[in-house]
Amino acid sequence: MNTKERVKTFLQENLVLMTIVILVVATALIEPKFLTVANLGNLMNQFGPLSFVALGMTITIIGGYIDLSVAGIVSLSAVFTISMVDVLGQTGALLAGLAAGALMGLLNALVVVSCGALTQAKALFMTYALSAVYSAAALLYTDGATQHMSHLTSPTTLFKGIGSGKAGFIPVSFLLFFVIMFVLHLFLTRTQTGREVQLTGANITATDMVGVPVKKRVALVYVLSGVLSAFGAIVLFSRITTASPLLGANYETNAILAVVVGGTSLAGGRGSVIRTMLGVMLVTLLSNCLNLLGISTYIQSVCKGIILIIAIWIDRRRTK
Amino acid sequence: MQVFKRILKEIEKQKALAAILLMLFMMLFFDTRFYTAYNLLDMLNSAAILEMLAFGVTLVIICGGVDFSIGAMMSLSGIITIKLMDYMPLWAAILAAIACGALVGFVNGFFVVQQKTEPFIITLGMGMLLKGIAQQITDAHPVPAKNLAFMKIANSRLIAGIPNLIVIMIVMLIIFYCILRFTSFGRNCYAIGGDYNVASQSGIKAVKIKWATFVICGAMAAFCGVLLSSKLNTGSSIYGDATALSVNCGCVVGGTSFAGGIGGIPQSFIGLLAIQLLENCMNMLGISAYIQQVCEGIIILLILWVDNYAQKRKSEAV
Repeated sequence: MNTKERVKTFLQENLVLMTIVILVVATALIEPKFLTVANLGNLMNQFGPLSFVALGMTITIIGGYIDLSVAGIVSLSAVFTISMVDVLGQTGALLAGLAAGALMGLLNALVVVSCGALTQAKALFMTYALSAVYSAAALLYTDGATQHMSHLTSPTTLFKGIGSGKAGFIPVSFLLFFVIMFVLHLFLTRTQTGREVQLTGANITATDMVGVPVKKRVALVYVLSGVLSAFGAIVLFSRITTASPLLGANYETNAILAVVVGGTSLAGGRGSVIRTMLGVMLVTLLSNCLNLLGISTYIQSVCKGIILIIAIWIDRRRTK
Repeated sequence: MQVFKRILKEIEKQKALAAILLMLFMMLFFDTRFYTAYNLLDMLNSAAILEMLAFGVTLVIICGGVDFSIGAMMSLSGIITIKLMDYMPLWAAILAAIACGALVGFVNGFFVVQQKTEPFIITLGMGMLLKGIAQQITDAHPVPAKNLAFMKIANSRLIAGIPNLIVIMIVMLIIFYCILRFTSFGRNCYAIGGDYNVASQSGIKAVKIKWATFVICGAMAAFCGVLLSSKLNTGSSIYGDATALSVNCGCVVGGTSFAGGIGGIPQSFIGLLAIQLLENCMNMLGISAYIQQVCEGIIILLILWVDNYAQKRKSEAV
């Protein structure tokens, strides 16, 4: 392998990391405020909700499927959790919210598996329609009104801790993300079930013939995605202290963006949650930089759309 | 069991028509203003734009693709027309907007057909991009049109008291039906959707034809955007938010399958009509908007489920 090829492979493998470095250096040069402790803490805070949703999305994509219902799950579980605080107490509400996420994930899996949608393309439609159902259910549940944490009578210290608590200067939500990511990484690479999820993603028919219960693995993947999305929702509303029934809008595209930019292939079977962390980092950094540079949110969504298209294009060329 | 299977098979074939008849029958028992000429004509008038969107999308779906950027394209093209109207004659502004739509379709086609990426996510990303542009141009505010001639395009009744939109829709219906039914381009679309590899190996220019369907779909979405803005006399970045899902799924309701190669313009027409009729019935019965959304979501989900299930059985039979 000559030098040119080696440089080329290095660039291809570490494209995200390079982009992150370039982005950090460029922004720091243009806007000195970028490298202050306040902004870095702020950056880690912004990491929060999307990172959890993206972790769930990574696992679904590695499992060969995709979950577009995360937007609906985030909205519905957020309004549901807030409404449960006065009924079940804060710990109960937290658990109820996560259970609701798991239940929606299970419903996704049931719908997708029962109609025999064995490919990602078919799961796309089903989960997108499910997202519409969940979002509408959230609107129906709250009658369209935004739920405020300040209107609750029970204590909400737990949620405040998750949303804006800090250990030293590192936000609690960031630490939680790190722990969950580590556990998921071990699960995917070191346990039999995790390996089976990867195999299912690589070739579902072959894996089925070997005797792996693929349907159960698909269900597991969707339930994990549901729970993690619900957790992302909890982190989100804990920070902003309100939950509108439209809270989760666009989360599916942002999560897919983070996963694909990180380098997990949409073809399934390959990728890792650690790569997704890089992807989330890039997406968060990008909006932070654009914010600091004073660029409108509308242009930011244009940029995200362009990056999503290009990332999928590069992924496709790589797997071809 | 045998009887059950046969009934299921018949409903599968004509599910949209059956649903329409069922709804029309049910509305006889409620004392509403449903059965008035005004309501029925108005329903058709408001369905016209979605129907025309569906004609373009049907071409794409028959070729085995899917386009979720139509909603954003629709709202953007209306805004473009209204913004350009101040600087150039009306017809030029409209042509420019349609050209933009064709361009977006061309880009979609490049990624989806030429580079063989997943159409769903690419067009979803494209929708996000277009909506961002629309918001940037208008600062997320609705923009009113000042030209009276523009408003008249969609709001007058030139032929025998029938609203213009309905006339345009019928003309488009005939054009698209003829394209799919009687031209080699249309017949090749079915071949490509049926089996892409077989089609391209038997000498059909599969890439070009499938690419062309995306361009036509984009241009059609832009055309619909012009009509919508003309009808409401404003352009806004929020118009197309839920359009893509309901139009794409409306085609499937009628029997155009996401598997590709199955269906046609009349089927899509009936499918979307069924969805519009459902909405109209629920409005007439005074059902709240949120419950309507839930119902629509569940119905779309059911239809997709049946579509997938039918595909599964088809592949098992082979």
